Amino acid sequence: MLLQLNNIFKWVQQGGQRVFLLKDINLEVEEGEFISVMGPSGSGKSTLLNVIGMLDTFDEGEYNFLDEPVHQLKEKHRSNLYKQYIGFVFQAYHLIDELTVYENLEMPLLYKKISGSERKAMVADMLDRFNIVGKKDLFPTQLSGGQQQLVGVARALITKPKLILADEPTGNLNSKQGEDIMELFKQLNDEGVTIIQVTHSEKNAEYGKRIINLLDGRMV
Amino acid sequence: MLKNYLKIGWRNLMKDKTFTLLNVIGLSIAFGAAILLAMSAFFDMSYDKFHANGDQIYQVYDVAQTPRGQEAGTSQPEPFAEALRTEVPGVEKITRYLQDGGLVIYGEKEIDLNTVWVDADFFSMFTFPVLKGNEHDPLQDQASVVITESAANKLFGNEEAIGQTINIMINGKEEPFTVGSVVGNVPPQSSLEFEVAVRFEKNAEYADTKGVWDSQYHGVYVQLPSGVSAERFEKNARSFTELHYKESMEAAKRDGAMPDADGLYRQLKLLPLKDLHFTGYRKGYAEVSRSVPYLILGVAFLILFIACVNFVNMSIAKSAQRLREIGMRKTLGAQKGQLFFQFWSESLFVFLSSMGIGVLLSILLIDDFKSMFRTRISLDMLAEPWAVFMLLATILTITLTAGGYPALLFSRLGTIQSLKGKLEASGNNLVRNALMVVQFGIAILLISGTLVLWGQVQFMRNKDLGYNKEQVISFPLNGKKNGHEVLRLLKDELNGNPDILEVSASDNNLGRGKDGSQWSSAIGFEHKGRNIRTNALTVDYNYISTLGLQMAQGRDFKSEADSLGVLINEAMARQLEEKDPLSARLEVGSETGLAILGVVKDYNFQGLDRAIEPITFFMGEDMELRYAYVKVAPENMASSFDAIEQTWKKLEPNAEFLGSFLDENVDRTFQREKTMATMITSGSIIAIALSCIGLFAMSLLIVAQRTKEIGVRKVLGASVASITVLLTKDFLKLVLIAFLIASPIAWWFSDQWLQNYTYKIDLGVWFFVAAGLLAMVIALLTVGTRTVSAAAQNPVKSLRTE
Ligand SMILES: Nc1ncnc2c1ncn2[C@@H]1O[C@H](COP(=O)(O)OP(=O)(O)OP(=O)(O)O)[C@@H](O)[C@H]1O
Ligand SMILES: [Mg+2]
Repeated sequence: MLLQLNNIFKWVQQGGQRVFLLKDINLEVEEGEFISVMGPSGSGKSTLLNVIGMLDTFDEGEYNFLDEPVHQLKEKHRSNLYKQYIGFVFQAYHLIDELTVYENLEMPLLYKKISGSERKAMVADMLDRFNIVGKKDLFPTQLSGGQQQLVGVARALITKPKLILADEPTGNLNSKQGEDIMELFKQLNDEGVTIIQVTHSEKNAEYGKRIINLLDGRMV
Repeated sequence: MLKNYLKIGWRNLMKDKTFTLLNVIGLSIAFGAAILLAMSAFFDMSYDKFHANGDQIYQVYDVAQTPRGQEAGTSQPEPFAEALRTEVPGVEKITRYLQDGGLVIYGEKEIDLNTVWVDADFFSMFTFPVLKGNEHDPLQDQASVVITESAANKLFGNEEAIGQTINIMINGKEEPFTVGSVVGNVPPQSSLEFEVAVRFEKNAEYADTKGVWDSQYHGVYVQLPSGVSAERFEKNARSFTELHYKESMEAAKRDGAMPDADGLYRQLKLLPLKDLHFTGYRKGYAEVSRSVPYLILGVAFLILFIACVNFVNMSIAKSAQRLREIGMRKTLGAQKGQLFFQFWSESLFVFLSSMGIGVLLSILLIDDFKSMFRTRISLDMLAEPWAVFMLLATILTITLTAGGYPALLFSRLGTIQSLKGKLEASGNNLVRNALMVVQFGIAILLISGTLVLWGQVQFMRNKDLGYNKEQVISFPLNGKKNGHEVLRLLKDELNGNPDILEVSASDNNLGRGKDGSQWSSAIGFEHKGRNIRTNALTVDYNYISTLGLQMAQGRDFKSEADSLGVLINEAMARQLEEKDPLSARLEVGSETGLAILGVVKDYNFQGLDRAIEPITFFMGEDMELRYAYVKVAPENMASSFDAIEQTWKKLEPNAEFLGSFLDENVDRTFQREKTMATMITSGSIIAIALSCIGLFAMSLLIVAQRTKEIGVRKVLGASVASITVLLTKDFLKLVLIAFLIASPIAWWFSDQWLQNYTYKIDLGVWFFVAAGLLAMVIALLTVGTRTVSAAAQNPVKSLRTE
């Protein structure tokens, strides 16, 4: 068991009333799964993903990640946990514009305090694997959207996470580029990486082994 | 990691060159100005601190209760020092101290050297190290003198100074002395200044004042043994005062003086040497005020503060552009501390380079600064350990606060929030607005301070002082000849010149002449059973008409034959409390007393910080004349001045001509105010410039942030004017709030400062309104340029940039 959500509720106060963003979410994810989360806009998909990624908090319920009770952990411990096991891929790539491709890839390793020579090897490995060696000294703005997302995925993978969380990873890409990313995910999943992705496209959802549907913060 | 931070920091700085430049320029100017100002303040505060025994040395002053209130003074009579030494326990060393111009003659050279007349203890009390000659008790021998290195150069050039014989003019006679020792030049931060030190017993007044307790004319310094406190000594000295000032204390009691808090009528007090430079006695007690150096430090601090506010505001405003980076770093596992350190190190980089440029600027500008503000600071001060320490401490504090605050803010942002790229703005805007209000408040404070200062200086300059200062030239009679004799010669020589209207003389100057001297002499006597105190001035018979003074009553001196009469001013007449002052006689000098010939209308013979005091004019061949006054016609003033100089050169070929018009002399007396006004003006100009840099940067950023809004509004039909107003009014609101806060503070400070002057400007509300308006206009121009162009831009263009 990789992670387990029990009766998760998340709400915000609006005009003295609770507006629920997540309602009674129960979810178990085994290692090696590939899950697609679907639902209409505003149904809480991103919110759920952020909760799983520990970027956002929840108000009620239990969340265990690799048998650690996340709801009881301190912020520092939590960030150590996701730094080690989780990689994020966003719709808007979120690369740092001031750093080159190489440096963007290197950054998560810096935060994990990995030694220089090891870093070099790991970055070189990734550049190789994603076929972007020739682009390593370019800045994000000098890349196409698809290439940027490729770098984003590479950066998520470089720390060898157990779990990849992807929020509409293909949202800004054309269908060919989207397909490439999906193929990449499938390949990664075959290598044993757990993936949870949010998507609006039926076709992309099909890559997943399991589909979760959300409506108004509730799993249906 | 650090390399990564530096890399991204550097690239961020380079990406937005405008802001980096604005920041670095602003901070460099601020650092440069602050360094110079702080140097001059610390220079001032280090006055008289170089004496090894400094903590045990005090200046003696006394506080006396009189019917006019409490009076304090430092002048002592000749027998005072010796009596104090023998009668009061706890005097380790003591010296009398009289500073009086001395004409020193060596061969063909006649040089006016700054001369002090002191006792033998002087050189063992104060630290003026002997370079050559007798090192121990250099003044043991009354026939020898101590001179400084610069005096030795002036007199002897490259010749050996020790053992030379020089002549000093004393009482109109040349007296020979041997140079016994040469000491190093007096450090610039010394209140005791001299080029020649002579034994006290040799001074011109000594013979007449020996053993006389009534004639007070010199200062006294004592050194207490370590462990004896000043308070204890002051208590011990009470019986001494009781004994020697019995009569004057009883007279004070009789005339209605009130005793002080200790129930006494006269007390001897000690003033620590280190306070000497900062002390005034005008208010009847020793008023120690270091407000000038603190004011300068305050201005330095304010300038730095404004520059730091710019930095903080720009960093926060710019952070919007880096939110995604912050969020991204967080999802990749950056912790608060790491983010803090990253942003902090970026600011450290900016601060360090600005500091470097600031130091360079201060080195480049130090000479201009010195001449502009008449300070004698030197660059060596920067190399001293405490200065280096101060610089480091300052930069550490500044980077910790100004760099740390934005860094802390960024490191605390929520991950999701920052990834979405939106700052929860309200809190930060509050800080930003508050900082800008403070910034503009400071600018307004400084502008109104500047206006008030210049207003007062201008007022003092233009005030009718009651005498003709535009047409009269005064100069010291600094030659070998006797004053009366040389005056007669002058009158004869200048007689034929139609532009020279009148020539006269007195024993004191008006204002501060080129010789830099300024003193007053006063006498006291009994009149109808009451003690009277008056300033005393020896004059030539036509002094009143030469200076254009007015008579209120009676007549002027007619000729030299009137020497048994005196003139008094109206203040003196009031003090005498006579129905008809002209019928009164003053019991001074001769047995029969002196007749009052006339009453002169009050005029400001002293600074405008005092009310007009009583003054009495004496005349007589036996009294010295030291300054000549020449009234010239309003035409050809320059050639008249030259004619006088030529005549003086002819009469006294070896003496320097130090003449100047009286209005220049008066100007010189408020040099302090002028220096302060220049300093505050420069400070406020820098403050305003820095505030403008900040304002300009903020307007750039805010306009950038609102590009989309502007575009949308224009598409919907808003006019250029309405958009400009929309963008500008927020800034103006801040200036207005700043004005409301700063004006009362500025008013309070100005009012406090003006309390020092008896004659002062009215503190009208216009000073502050003008300052506020000026700040407003400057803000408007700064912000306006950017907002108008933004508002005028093609909306399609601004929408596309989003
Ligand atoms: N901080 C917040 N305060 C109030 N409401 C919020 C907040 N964050 C999210 N919501 C609301 O929560 C709901 C779920 O948002 P979420 O971003 O998870 O939707 P989503 O399913 O990812 O939609 P989309 O497909 O458009 O990305 C939305 O209705 C949104 O308005
Ligand atoms: Mg979403």
